[in-house]
Amino acid sequence: MPILEIKNVSKFFGGLAANSDVSFSMEQGMIMGLIGPNGAGKTTLFNCITGYYPPSKGEVIFNGRRMNGLQPDKVCKLGMVRTWQKVRPLAKLSVVDNVMVGALVRTISLKTARDMAMEQLKVVRMEHRADFLAGGLPIGERKKLEVARALATQPKLLLLDEVMGGLNPAESEEIIQLILDIKAQGLTQMVIEHDMKAIMRISDRIVVLTSGEKLTEGTPQEVVSNQDVIDAYLGESHA
Amino acid sequence: MNKSMLKAAIGLIVLAGLLVIPRFVESPYALHMMILLFLSVSQGQSWNILGGYAGQYSVGHAAYFGVGAYTTMMLMYSKQVAPWVGVWAGVAAVIVVALVIGSICFRLRGPYFVLASIAVAEIMRLSAINLTTLTNGAEGILVTEIPAFKIGGRVVTDFLTKVPFYYIGLFLALLTLAIAYWVQHSKLGYYFQAIREDQDAAHSLGIHISVYKNIGLVISAVLTSLAGSFYGIYVGFVDPPTVLGLDVSVQIMLICIIGGMGTIWGPVLGSLLLVPLSEALRSNMITEGLVKIGLVSADSKVGLFLKENLAHAHVLLYGILVVLVILFMPDGLMGFVKKLASRRKREAA
Ligand SMILES: Nc1ncnc2c1ncn2[C@@H]1O[C@H](COP(=O)(O)OP(=O)(O)OP(=O)(O)O)[C@@H](O)[C@H]1O
Ligand SMILES: [Mg+2]
Repeated sequence: MPILEIKNVSKFFGGLAANSDVSFSMEQGMIMGLIGPNGAGKTTLFNCITGYYPPSKGEVIFNGRRMNGLQPDKVCKLGMVRTWQKVRPLAKLSVVDNVMVGALVRTISLKTARDMAMEQLKVVRMEHRADFLAGGLPIGERKKLEVARALATQPKLLLLDEVMGGLNPAESEEIIQLILDIKAQGLTQMVIEHDMKAIMRISDRIVVLTSGEKLTEGTPQEVVSNQDVIDAYLGESHA
Repeated sequence: MNKSMLKAAIGLIVLAGLLVIPRFVESPYALHMMILLFLSVSQGQSWNILGGYAGQYSVGHAAYFGVGAYTTMMLMYSKQVAPWVGVWAGVAAVIVVALVIGSICFRLRGPYFVLASIAVAEIMRLSAINLTTLTNGAEGILVTEIPAFKIGGRVVTDFLTKVPFYYIGLFLALLTLAIAYWVQHSKLGYYFQAIREDQDAAHSLGIHISVYKNIGLVISAVLTSLAGSFYGIYVGFVDPPTVLGLDVSVQIMLICIIGGMGTIWGPVLGSLLLVPLSEALRSNMITEGLVKIGLVSADSKVGLFLKENLAHAHVLLYGILVVLVILFMPDGLMGFVKKLASRRKREAA
């Protein structure tokens, strides 16, 4: 059984179809890359999957359960969590407190939550930052904090929205390793990223969106050799 | 001795001091000031739980204060219900009011809660004025005699001096402090603060936003209602403006905003500043002081003007105070104290 099925999902904002008739499915343990030019509807699809918007049409099925109409908190409890393209640190809380907020969805004990949070901070190599205020972190660490906090909710499916956006090559490389480590733990991930090299390296399969529609889907090799993709998306850089 | 032991020791000494004050202090005025201080701490701290921790600004806490006060007083006045029973009726009433406001406003995004909180307090005030058969209307309710409090036939107190009120006030202040401390050090406090900092992030991390806002509102409203009931029986009189007026709501907020929102000690600091200040204004102490140090002469135009008006100017002065605090200490007195402390630490290092 696929862990996630997207069935003919459309999302309209007034006359604009931010997603139209998008369908694909994901198997347990895989990394699905989601690419497309700016405004293609990638973030909107995350919003539809995680309950921020009800899809205008279509269905989202997670572990066999229909998710339409569920609120984000319920979605998180069921095991799906996303990070934010525009990071959302809880600025006046410390780094470890931020991650604890994630962990507290699984426990009522602060002590247990703190242990879980420290564990996730180790995963993203930020233990030394535990007591810093989240609002004072540089962008690279804010992105990692997003990941640690999402991981602390103990998801079955992790959705990452441009966690490498705005990072320097060394920081991006660290994130790539992090994503691969998370995969090695058996966690399923969907990753939005603009950096083609990175997405090729980490993805098992890639879905390409343009103007809200799914242009194609396949292995990284299939996608880069697809003429439509080259025309629509990679045009300039591969010309 | 480490830092937390030192803190605990200081806490115990202060507590012991507060407990024995009535044994040594006879002046009813001094006890009265202490009682006002306790009342202010519990008001400010109650507001803090919702406003400071969860970031939901109520500009209508007079609704809970007044409903608590009125319920207790009405029951005592017309049904001879003892206040320690009536208080719970007030709590029940306030929970209903809070849940009605909360369940409507907390579903919506935007400033609905702030606006609704003002509106509900005004509705309560107007009801108190107009439901004259229940509330005596604008005349208010005067209760001069509180029944003696007995346990097993033994009179514990007959409420004839200020001392029993001192201890009830102290207990109330400590109770609200303890509850705020417990909130801050529990899942609830983490969730409140997450909602305050970023509602979308909080939602995505599994927090049911409206449920937790309602929990915060109910805790805050119940504690405010207890403070209101206490105020009613202490003063022996309630009328619409003194317990349901907009300035009551504003005063409750200011204790916390000036002292420092989202901190345990903020409302205590705020009370230590505001209670003496409003007392000084009320009793015209400030004008007298200015006259005494020779800044203005008592029978000059300025002197007479101040004497006439300063006592009524507390709302204006609070406004100025808030502007100053927002400009120079955005995190309140408590934030200012913390900043000083960390600067000293850095200089020492
Ligand atoms: N809440 C909204 N209301 C109206 N239009 C919206 C809303 N959210 C997104 N859109 C529009 O939907 C389209 C898709 O936006 P979306 O953010 O999903 O793109 P994206 O693929 O994530 O782009 P980027 O790579 O820049 O992040 C855009 O045209 C955007 O302006
Ligand atoms: Mg996006």
